[in-house]
Amino acid sequence: MLGVMLIAPCVLIFCAVIVYPLVSAVYLSLFNIFTPTLKGNFVGFQNYADLFAGEEFWRSLFNTLVWTVCTLFLQVVLGVAAALMLHQAIVFRALARSLILFPYFVSTVVAVLVWRWLFNDLYGILNHLMMWSGLLQMPLDWLGSMPNAMVSIVLVGAWKYFPFVVIAILARLQTIPDQLYEAATIDGAGAWARFTDVTLPQLKDVLMVVVLLRAIWDFKEFDLIYLMTGGGPLISTQTLPLMVYKEAFGLDAMGRATAVAVAMMAVMLVFMVLYLRRMGKEEAR
Amino acid sequence: MKRIAFNLMAWTIVLVTAFPLIWMVITSVKPQFELFRIPPTFWPEEITFEHYRRLLWETPFLLFMRNSLILSFSTTVLVVGVATLGAHSLVRFRYPGRERLAQLVLFTYLLPSVVLILPLYLMMVWLGVANSLLSLVIAYTSFALPYALWLLRSFMQGIPDDLESAALVDGATRMEAFFDVILPQALPGIISTSLFTFILSWNEYLYALVLVNTDSARPLTTGVMSMLVSSFNIEWSLLMAASVMMSVPLIIIFAVLQKYLTRGFGAGGVKG
Repeated sequence: MLGVMLIAPCVLIFCAVIVYPLVSAVYLSLFNIFTPTLKGNFVGFQNYADLFAGEEFWRSLFNTLVWTVCTLFLQVVLGVAAALMLHQAIVFRALARSLILFPYFVSTVVAVLVWRWLFNDLYGILNHLMMWSGLLQMPLDWLGSMPNAMVSIVLVGAWKYFPFVVIAILARLQTIPDQLYEAATIDGAGAWARFTDVTLPQLKDVLMVVVLLRAIWDFKEFDLIYLMTGGGPLISTQTLPLMVYKEAFGLDAMGRATAVAVAMMAVMLVFMVLYLRRMGKEEAR
Repeated sequence: MKRIAFNLMAWTIVLVTAFPLIWMVITSVKPQFELFRIPPTFWPEEITFEHYRRLLWETPFLLFMRNSLILSFSTTVLVVGVATLGAHSLVRFRYPGRERLAQLVLFTYLLPSVVLILPLYLMMVWLGVANSLLSLVIAYTSFALPYALWLLRSFMQGIPDDLESAALVDGATRMEAFFDVILPQALPGIISTSLFTFILSWNEYLYALVLVNTDSARPLTTGVMSMLVSSFNIEWSLLMAASVMMSVPLIIIFAVLQKYLTRGFGAGGVKG
């Protein structure tokens, strides 16, 4: 009885700010609602029909997938590499770790402002450095043209979120018993063989979890893309979360916006169920 | 020799990763005219704190900062308070639906805010609290509570059952056992959960963008971005100064309370 009373506040808040909005989102997606007045009429599945018949939804879904796959891939590769590096004894290791982790904790707004300044086409240091080193002949328009805009947000996404992978992998690396490496060395394994035969199999489980979590979070990323490019040029970098925002507050079609959100949620559910299954298995162990 | 080469390489990579943030600090202390030098100077020829002075006294920055502080503190206190009781219940008590509930918490922790935000927006308008810090505190619980609950649950699972049983045998009630035995044991976990929740609220952008459109209730994230949009020519040095100021709480947490952060990494941020 006491146990139920202790959890009651949590459950009440959950119902008010999560369960109710979730149900309400599905309900709202069946209406045609004008955002400024919030008045609307029932239209059934018309919003979904319009969405799936039009090109914009599919384009945004495609963009979301491109963004998620590319930035996730970079995050994992950079994250594992950096974790392996920070696992070694280097001078001032604690400071090095803090510096690597910092981008993850800094606000997206700060990250975006800094990168937009670095990317600035006239005075940005990035164009300047690349021209100075001979990589570029002319200053590059990093955010205003394609495919540069997509490449830019993917890079910034990788920079901002790879520390998450570092944290997870580093924690796991510290628990791999040294004997495994000693045994492999006695068996004549070189550095690379030790990595593929000892380290990677040990990291497999945590990598699975990290990839699923990051896939879910990258898929729903709004702040970074919205603030970097606003979805532009035109809709070339518009992902589904940006489309939701645009429909609701740019085009004042609240009903259609919730339909996009619900459709997006349906796609994400696949990853979420995979992740929940995985965690369920680990709890059972 | 090999050691030195490895150290050099490692530190080069670290510095390249940190470069954007280093550049932010450098830009914020350069005089305005030096920014438009071609080629750009690396070290400022002259160090000035003019931008910080203007930021603090001639822009609404301090107002945004006050809003952010109130908002993040209230969210953290509310969420961690409620979640500590909830996590204790999930870990130590048995009742039907407990496992389901724990699963639901994890599920909500992954929910995208864009799905919740439109109904929440309508709810705030209907409740008549739109455009206030209160509306943001309510909205922030939707992501902060699942997060805190999940993190605290993993911390509390690490406290041995015997401790509570011993107190109960000695005649303590369950609530007394909670306050005298569990809470002190869970304190480090509660501190690191609070830190993470605070950072999460401090950095939030989307809810603030949708739910608030007056300066008096704007937190730093949307406030600083509105300074970018409203100025005709973008004053990068001012914005970099704002970015530095915005990161100060993080730097403090990193420097002073790092052991609590690392504890949090191990416990729940990622399990595996």
